Amino acid sequence: MKSPAHENRTSRPLLLGVLIVVSLLLITGWYREGDGGPLHRIRDGVHTVVAPVSAVGEVITHPLRVVGGFFGDLGVSRGGIAELERQNAELRRRNTELEEARQQNIRLKQLLRFVQGKDLKTVGGHVIGRPNNAWEGVVTIDLGGRDGVKQGMPVVSGSGLLGQLIEVAPNSSRVRLITDQRSGVAAMVQRSRAEGIARGTIDGGLTLDFVSTDTTVNAGDAVVTSGMGGVYPKGLLVGEVTEVEKDPAALYQTIQMRPAATLGNTEEVLVIIGRPPAPKIGAGE
Amino acid sequence: MNKVVPAVLAIAAATLLQALLGPAIAIGGAIPNFLLIVAITLALVQGPVSGAVAGFAAGLIFDLLNTGPVGAMALVLAVTCWLAGLLFQHMFAEGWLLPLTVLGAASFAAGVAYSVILLLLGEGESFWLSMLTITLPGAVYNTALALLVYPWLARFLRQERPVQTFRRLA
Repeated sequence: MKSPAHENRTSRPLLLGVLIVVSLLLITGWYREGDGGPLHRIRDGVHTVVAPVSAVGEVITHPLRVVGGFFGDLGVSRGGIAELERQNAELRRRNTELEEARQQNIRLKQLLRFVQGKDLKTVGGHVIGRPNNAWEGVVTIDLGGRDGVKQGMPVVSGSGLLGQLIEVAPNSSRVRLITDQRSGVAAMVQRSRAEGIARGTIDGGLTLDFVSTDTTVNAGDAVVTSGMGGVYPKGLLVGEVTEVEKDPAALYQTIQMRPAATLGNTEEVLVIIGRPPAPKIGAGE
Repeated sequence: MNKVVPAVLAIAAATLLQALLGPAIAIGGAIPNFLLIVAITLALVQGPVSGAVAGFAAGLIFDLLNTGPVGAMALVLAVTCWLAGLLFQHMFAEGWLLPLTVLGAASFAAGVAYSVILLLLGEGESFWLSMLTITLPGAVYNTALALLVYPWLARFLRQERPVQTFRRLA
């Protein structure tokens, strides 16, 4: 018979104390150092190494999703004869491929339509990695410093504003989604021009904060970027108001939103790498 | 030394699985934490000292893989694994139910602690919402996954010695 090793019952609280102190030093160092600090550089290095692994995972799981849908559809024709099933399977396989191409075509057209007329300089890429923990809404895309993208640039999908680049490696970047709880976007209600901050929530939702109770906001109102702060160009669709609570005693309304761009169906993205200078009002000539 | 190699291999495999498979097997908002499962299993099998070191290492990897503050999950897992190892060391454990219960409780406690740290650092929003949408579903998912892998993982990580008491794990 064997017994586990920890029966010597040592717990070494001093070691735990050392680990706690080291952890606290790391946290402090993380906040005190700049983006070019050693901890940030180590994380950038890890990101560079892990991005291809995430991309492989994305490629591996994509066919699994397609196959899942395929078997779900096959349930209808299970009662047919073997030959028809074989033909059906072959046709479905081809259909899946064509459908994939058709859907990609639609998405790309949608993506182009979204930025057309806004006179924005963009570069297109693909989502190659999705969030690998539940605490944050961050995705990896296959555009990096070599493609001309930089930290802080806005990212859009065909449906609306998706997020902002927070880390840029040579061949990949990380995008913090607007639904991440650490995200905040200067936004306004399109109809009433009431300004606020669109903030992500821990459950992947979106709220519009700091909108005064003096203004009227209705469910169904579109919310767009206000352009304040200069990070996001003005007029990008952020989402739609779903619920408004107005407490007369409160300074601000409680506004819930549905994000326009959701991660679930997003495969292609555009990074806005440039925009025209704002027109100078009253500058003459 | 012979207990270090399996531990390093298990943490490396968990890192790979987290990056490769984690996002794909998310159910709703719950994403399994392979690094946490391995670290707590190590604590249960090898005791609080190995658990604390493994928890610190696994937590640091988690921090580096993601975009939160570096050191936060390292702190959480070091303490959680040390406590889980210490708690389990003083229990009479026969079979798999008790270790899995400790693993589930430790997973939940780690989620709560991480949530509190994020709030203290100004990185989190709502504690109760994170309880409902992330911590609780995550702990359930981790425990369900541990139900499948714990016996094999524990056997792989266990450093066996001649029997001294009746205590058995896994």
